[in-house]
Amino acid sequence: MTTPLMIEARGVEKWYPNGFQALRGADLSVHQGEVVVIMGPSGSGKSTFIRTFNGLEDFQKGSIVVDGITLSDDVRQIDAIRREVGMVFQQFNLFPHLTVLENVALAPVLVRRRPKAEVQQQALELLDRVGIQHQAHKYPGQLSGGQQQRVAIARSLCMEPRIMLFDEPTSALDPEMVQEVLAVMQELARDGMTMVVVSHEVRFARQVASRVALMADGQVVEVAPPEQFFTAPGHERSRQFLSQIG
Amino acid sequence: MSASPNLSHPQRTASPPRLHRLRRELFASPLDGLITIALVASLAAAATGFLHWATTQARWAVIQANSNLFAIGRYPIEQQWRLWLLVTLLAAATGLSWGLLRAWPRADRRGSAWPPNDTIAAALLTAISFYVPLALHAQAGIQMRWWAITALLLLVRAAAGRWGPLVPRQLRPLLALLWPVLYLIGMVLISGGLGLMPVPPAEWGGLLLTLVEASFAILLCFPLGVLLALGRRSALPLLRWGSVVYIEFIRGAPLITLLFLGQNILGFLLPGGLAPDRVWRAAWVLTFFAAAYVAEAVRSGLAALPPGQLEAARSLGLNLPQSLMHVVLPQALRVALPATVGQFITLLQDTTLLSLIGLLDLLGVARTVMANPAFLGRNAEVYLVLAILFWCCCAALGLGSRALEHRLNPNTVALNTSAHKA
Ligand SMILES: Nc1ncnc2c1ncn2[C@@H]1O[C@H](COP(=O)(O)OP(=O)(O)OP(=O)(O)O)[C@@H](O)[C@H]1O
Ligand SMILES: [Mg+2]
Repeated sequence: MTTPLMIEARGVEKWYPNGFQALRGADLSVHQGEVVVIMGPSGSGKSTFIRTFNGLEDFQKGSIVVDGITLSDDVRQIDAIRREVGMVFQQFNLFPHLTVLENVALAPVLVRRRPKAEVQQQALELLDRVGIQHQAHKYPGQLSGGQQQRVAIARSLCMEPRIMLFDEPTSALDPEMVQEVLAVMQELARDGMTMVVVSHEVRFARQVASRVALMADGQVVEVAPPEQFFTAPGHERSRQFLSQIG
Repeated sequence: MSASPNLSHPQRTASPPRLHRLRRELFASPLDGLITIALVASLAAAATGFLHWATTQARWAVIQANSNLFAIGRYPIEQQWRLWLLVTLLAAATGLSWGLLRAWPRADRRGSAWPPNDTIAAALLTAISFYVPLALHAQAGIQMRWWAITALLLLVRAAAGRWGPLVPRQLRPLLALLWPVLYLIGMVLISGGLGLMPVPPAEWGGLLLTLVEASFAILLCFPLGVLLALGRRSALPLLRWGSVVYIEFIRGAPLITLLFLGQNILGFLLPGGLAPDRVWRAAWVLTFFAAAYVAEAVRSGLAALPPGQLEAARSLGLNLPQSLMHVVLPQALRVALPATVGQFITLLQDTTLLSLIGLLDLLGVARTVMANPAFLGRNAEVYLVLAILFWCCCAALGLGSRALEHRLNPNTVALNTSAHKA
C-alpha cells in the first residue's frame, strides 16, 4: 500500500467494567481510501472494536492512531478525532426531536461554527445525494428505516469526515430496504472514502471491500482481500464462520 | 419509497350523533342505567344542598370585607398602584403570548395549537372577571379597573392573533424572554428599589405572597433540579454521590420540618443578603425542596432516552455541554414535563404550610380573618374561597403545560427511532 495509514490499531485489549474482556489484542490497519469489512460471530467484539476508533469505548492496553492522532484519555484529542470520523449505527440514532434537515445541519453549525444558511444548503445537497428528496422538513419518525439510515449517513457526511465507521448499518432494516442503504455506501466507497464496515452482507463485501477482516474472541484472526477470504480462507475460524453463514 | 401514512395521519372515524352516543354509553344495560340514574340523583341533591347553603345560610360578607387582605395582605395602600401596574403588565403579556403562540404554527404540523378552539376559554375569562368584582361588592373604581384590565388582555390577544404572523421568524424566539424580564420588573415593583419606595416582605401577604413564594421557587427549582439530575448521572463520583445524598435527604424529610430548619440555619448557610428575612428563607426552602423532586422527574426523562442518542451526538463531535443542550435535555425534559408540572402544582399547594411558620400567605391571612370575632363561624365560606383560588391557579398551570406539551411534541411517532414496520 502506498496511501497513508488512516487507522492503526495495535494489540488493543479492553475490559468492560464488569470484568469481561471483550478485546484480546486486536490489530487492524486501514489505509486511505480503503474499505475494510469486519465480519465475525456475534459477541466476538466487532462493535466494541469499531467503537474504540472514535473513543466511544475506552481500552486498557494497546494503541490506536487515527488520522495521525493517538487516542488517549485526553478529551480534546478525542473531540478532534470525532470531528474527522463519522459513525453510522445499527439503530440509526437520529435525533427524533429535530427535523431531517436539522439533524444533518446540527453538528457543522455547532462544532465547526459554519454559517447556518451555508450548512443547510450543503445538507440539502447531501440529502439529495442519498436520495432523500422533499423530506427535509419531516421528522425522523415519519420516515422508513431505510430512509432514516440514509439520513444518518448524510448527517455524518455533513461534517466532512475523512473516515466513516459503520456498525451493522443494515441489520435493523427490513430486507427490501437493505439495498438502498448499501447502494449509498457503495457510492461513497467509489468516491474514495475510507470506510470500516461491520457487516454480514457478503455480496457487499465481495463487491466493495478492499479487504475483509474476521474477528473471533476479541481478536482479528484474518485479514484478506475478499476474493481470497471467501474462496480460500486461511484461518480455521474463518472457514467455520463462512460455513455458518452459508 | 414507502412513507407511512398510517402512522402520521391517523384516520378519524366520524362520531355518531351526540344524543345517540350518550344513550349508548350511559344506558348500555339496565344496571348501567340504574347506576347512571342514582349518580345523577345524588349529584343533583348535593348541588341543591350546596346552592341552598350558598344562597341562604352562607354569609359572604367575610370575603367581601376582606378581599383586599386576601389579595395582598397589608401591602401599604399608597403603594398599591404598583401592584395594579404589575397586574396590567401581566395581563398584556398573557394576551400577547396567548395570541402569538396560537398565531405562529409550527411549520411542520397541522393544527398546531391546543386546545383547537380557545373561544370558550376567552368567554370563561370574560365571565369570571365581569362577575367576580361585582360579587365582591368592590368599589366602582376598582370594578372598572378589573374590567379594563380584562379588556386589555383580550384586545392584546386579538391583536397578537391578527398581526402575529407578520413577525419575522428570527424574532419569534424573543417571546420567551418576555416572561423572565417581566418577572424581574414585577419583583422590583413589589419590593421596591430603583427609586421606588421599598416595601419589606413582612408587609406582603395573601395571594400576593403565595404567588411570589411559589413563582420564585418554581423558577429556581427547575434549573437546580435539572443540574441535580445530571449530577446524579455524572461520571464524577463526588458529584454523583453529592446529588444522591441531597436528593434522598430532601425527599426523606417533611417539608414542614425543613421550613422550620431553614428559618434557623439558612441565614448562616446562604451568603449575606440572599435570605435576609423569614419570607426569603421560606422561599429558598421551597426551592431546595422542590428541586429534589424535579430532579427525580428529570431523571426519569433521562432514563427514557436511548443511550444511542448521546453516542450519536458525541460521534458527531459535539462536546458534552452541546450534546446535553441540543440532544439530551430537549428530549428528556419533554418526557419529564408532565411530572415536573405536577411538582409545580404540589409546590403551589405546599405554600400553605408557610402559615404554620407565621407567614401571612393565603392560608395565614385566612386564619387571622377567621380569628376575628366579627367573622366567627364563617370558616366554610373562607375555606371554600381558598380552595377555589388554589384550584384556579393549579388549573392555569395545568392548562399552560398541556398547551406547551402539545406545542413541543413534533408528533407522537417521532420519539420512535427504531426500524419502521408498516
Ligand atoms: N457494556 C458491556 N458490559 C459488559 N460486557 C459487554 C458490554 N457490551 C458488550 N459486552 C460483551 O462484550 C462482547 C463483545 O460485544 P460486541 O457488542 O462488541 O460484540 P459484536 O461482535 O458486535 O456482536 P454482535 O454481532 O452481536 O453485534 C460480548 O460478549 C458482549 O456480551
Ligand atoms: Mg455489534
